[in-house]
Amino acid sequence: MITIKKLSKVFRTEELETKALSEISLTINQGDFVSIMGPSGSGKSTLLNIVGLLDSASDGSYQLLDQEMVGLKEKLKAKARKENIGFIFQNFNLIDELSVYDNIELPLIYNNVSASERKSRVNEIARILNISHRLKHFPQQLSGGQQQRVAVARALINNPKIILADEPTGNLDSKNGNEVMELLTDLHASGSTILMVTHSDYDASFSQKTILMKDGVILSEKQNHRNVDVLVTSKN
Amino acid sequence: MLKNWISIFIFQVKNNKLFTALNVLGLSIGIAGLIFAILYWNDEHSYDQWNPNKENVFLVANQMDPTTYWASSSAPIGSAIKNTSPEVESYCYVNGNYDNEIIHYNDKKVQSGKIVVAQKNFFDYFPYQFIEGNAKTGLPDGNSICLSEDLAIQLFGNESAFGKKIVLQNQTLVVRGVYKLDKKSVFNPSCVVNFMDLRVKNTIQQWGNFQFILLLKLKNPTDAGLVEKSLSKIYYDNMTAPRAKFQGMTPEEFIKKFGEVKPHLESLSSIRLHTKTGGLIEGNGNYQLLLIFMGLSILILILSIVNYVNSATANAVKRAKEIGVRKVIGASKTNIILQFIFETAIILLLSILISLVIVELSIPYYNAFLEKDLVLQSGQLYLQLVVIFIGTVITAGIFPAIYVSNFEVLKVLRGNFIRSKNGVWLRNGMLIFQFAVAAFFIIGSYIVYQQIDYMNSKDLGFNGNQVLNISYRNIYGEKIDGKIQFDKYNNIKNQLLRIKGVKQVAGGGFVMGSGAKSVISYHYKDINIDGNNVPVDFGLLEMMKIKLVKGRYFNPQYSQDTINSMLINETALKLLNEKDPIGKKINWDGKEVIIVGVVKDFNIGNPGEAIPPMSIFHFKSIPWFSGLLNNIYVTADPKTMQQTIAAIENVWLKKVDSDYPFLYDFVDKEYKRSYNSYVQQKNLFSLLNLIVILIALIGLFALASYSIERRMKEIAIRKTLGAETNILLKELCKQYVVFSIIGFLIASFPAYYLLNKWLENFAYRVSISISPFLIGFTALLLLTLAVVLSRAYQATKVDVLRYLKYE
Repeated sequence: MITIKKLSKVFRTEELETKALSEISLTINQGDFVSIMGPSGSGKSTLLNIVGLLDSASDGSYQLLDQEMVGLKEKLKAKARKENIGFIFQNFNLIDELSVYDNIELPLIYNNVSASERKSRVNEIARILNISHRLKHFPQQLSGGQQQRVAVARALINNPKIILADEPTGNLDSKNGNEVMELLTDLHASGSTILMVTHSDYDASFSQKTILMKDGVILSEKQNHRNVDVLVTSKN
Repeated sequence: MLKNWISIFIFQVKNNKLFTALNVLGLSIGIAGLIFAILYWNDEHSYDQWNPNKENVFLVANQMDPTTYWASSSAPIGSAIKNTSPEVESYCYVNGNYDNEIIHYNDKKVQSGKIVVAQKNFFDYFPYQFIEGNAKTGLPDGNSICLSEDLAIQLFGNESAFGKKIVLQNQTLVVRGVYKLDKKSVFNPSCVVNFMDLRVKNTIQQWGNFQFILLLKLKNPTDAGLVEKSLSKIYYDNMTAPRAKFQGMTPEEFIKKFGEVKPHLESLSSIRLHTKTGGLIEGNGNYQLLLIFMGLSILILILSIVNYVNSATANAVKRAKEIGVRKVIGASKTNIILQFIFETAIILLLSILISLVIVELSIPYYNAFLEKDLVLQSGQLYLQLVVIFIGTVITAGIFPAIYVSNFEVLKVLRGNFIRSKNGVWLRNGMLIFQFAVAAFFIIGSYIVYQQIDYMNSKDLGFNGNQVLNISYRNIYGEKIDGKIQFDKYNNIKNQLLRIKGVKQVAGGGFVMGSGAKSVISYHYKDINIDGNNVPVDFGLLEMMKIKLVKGRYFNPQYSQDTINSMLINETALKLLNEKDPIGKKINWDGKEVIIVGVVKDFNIGNPGEAIPPMSIFHFKSIPWFSGLLNNIYVTADPKTMQQTIAAIENVWLKKVDSDYPFLYDFVDKEYKRSYNSYVQQKNLFSLLNLIVILIALIGLFALASYSIERRMKEIAIRKTLGAETNILLKELCKQYVVFSIIGFLIASFPAYYLLNKWLENFAYRVSISISPFLIGFTALLLLTLAVVLSRAYQATKVDVLRYLKYE
């Protein structure tokens, strides 16, 4: 699904040149749940942003669904992004001026989905994520966990091919954090592809595979055992 | 603390160079406009305010009909009111216009344009400071003259003027005094002569001949009402009653039919700006223009203050953290308020300095526009500047200061404040206000433009193209009789006709654009008509291409045309309500005249004025008309026009008048000058329009920038979720378009009302159509979109990550 080959990202300022990513290669297949770990400045967020088409690479190749993304025009990138990718952020990034319903609905509007279908899909996802009773509220009126659930609902509403989560539990307490991680696990179980950046070993343990990064390179990849458990439970 | 404030202020200025500059620029323009208006205001309000008699000297203003007031009175009124009304201390007659004459001293000739003819107590009414002689003995008789200091120096250099003999209008006069002319008044004489006693004496029987300005000095200004009553009685006894008797009716019937003259008293201090008459010698102050100007400049200042407040509050959100920290470490609310007012004060001080520079640089143009000589130098002005400074600091500074001081520390420090909606309603309200003002100006100046254009293109009813008007003054002294004067004119006419290239020559007693010089009312059946007298020589109407509607022009072949023939214009015909006017007899000023023709209406006054009913006579028909023969009109071959003019000048200076310069102009050019003041109003309005739009756009630009910055995160999220640029642009522009529509709607009604009011100045005016509103709306919308789109487009191009990650 995602094939990255020798991908580099260089930040230049007047004085110095920083390599945020140097010649990274990585493959993510459909249905994978991959987490990226590493200290601050290791390049993990940069990698996620490039995968999410929010940022562009300096060099190398990034193929999403067999289509080359490096050097693609902004307009086509925007199209690929809205059709294939759902984002979950650490700070939720909900629009404060819009109600929960409007926030969730937004991606559908930009994908030209009809009003009646939008309504049924928003209600459906809200039901699944247990936020139906909050649809008329505004983000500031919700708890952190609820806000993140809204953000997840917004990320999923469009049935994206891949979900990118940037420290999704970073702003949450452990109880709410756990709920969100279980949500992601359930999504994975039902077939979603997820790429997650995290600081937490615990959160990473929910994923199938953990990639450890440092100074812009991948140090190691390891398979997680717990995944097996999840797979087992999901089969139950 | 001051040092801390200053360093923070300097930091803010450095970081917001563009907006600080725009703010200072807007405020300086606003203040400069107000300074200009105040200079004008001060000047207009300084007239006669120095005069200790300003409250107890009164002008007798006579109301002739519901809307017409004359500044002139007839000769017998003064002594009559003095004798009957004990409240009146004295009266003084003054001539209604300056004389322009040459004064001879030995071999020296000095032309003086502002000679005032008055009675001997003139200097009791206008106590100028005397350098030589004194006010009381200045004008004892008709052989005396008092000179202004300037004129005395021109005539006598450093020598004393007192007792010297000069010649004016072939009369020898003795200088009895020299005064300092350093104060503004409705009279600003270069010299004063006492010829008025004689003129009053000569016309003492003529109650109906309103030709001199009459000033009354009352013992007590509160008695003005009593004196008005006494005057009314005098008018009734001496004018209404005898005339009614002459017509064979009771006075009541007469008043009902023809009205009566109603006297009013206007105090000297109020004449310049508030007189209902056409004004005394110096003309009226244009109170309407003054008010318009004052109002508009205050509006512009408010606009720039609004800009400042908007920009300051929007910017304050960015400084929330600073305020939060200050509060945490112990700053009180008052302290924060003081800090922000301090910043406003510095900005304003800077703006005032720049505005003074703007005023100083542009004051020559301003003076040329107002025909004044204002200078940027008076204690009064600086005092007013201090008031403006304090007033503006309070209005512009207090709101942002209080707004900022009310920030809640906790919210601010948590960092989620930048997107807070605090104060947004107010900023939007002020934006709508700005839109409204801008729309008002766009609509207004377009209507003004339409009106001026209409006046420019109006059919004037005459054609003065290539017709020369030569100024022909009375060079023969006061005592010449009408017949001799006309013979002298005929002599000149014959000489001119001999010049090569000259085609036609005809004298006239009027100047196109200045209106008729005299009005005589006549009755026809039961109708009263205030006919404007237009004395002409044969051929003049034809030269001006004034068309005939009925009957015929004057013609030398008909002997009665120099005796009792009269032409009228269409307006008079309409008033006469007579189907077949030709041959009808009219009693005109005690003389029976016969209408022989009707001419098409033509503009004799400025094109904004209504065309009055006209009584057109040949000079010879009415002997005293020859005294009005001050213009000789000439047509000549256009190909050799320059040579012909040179030849005429040559003949003129040799044979007619060697003392005075040869003055001529083309009639059409002269006419255009008559409505110059309205053209200037148009230019003023266009200039203010430009300034207002500029300031409003600066405001919009700043506000759009801030508000888009505030929404950057939202824009970033939307972009991440797949919004395309044009959708985002629509989203961002939507509210501004709505605001501009609301602003436009708010402006429409006052614009319609006030411009209608302005158009009431014109008898011939455009009606306000939908087009200025359409144009105003389109212009406003386009300008708004241009500004907002440019900012919004930049916003959509911005790096999404910056706002998603590092907020």
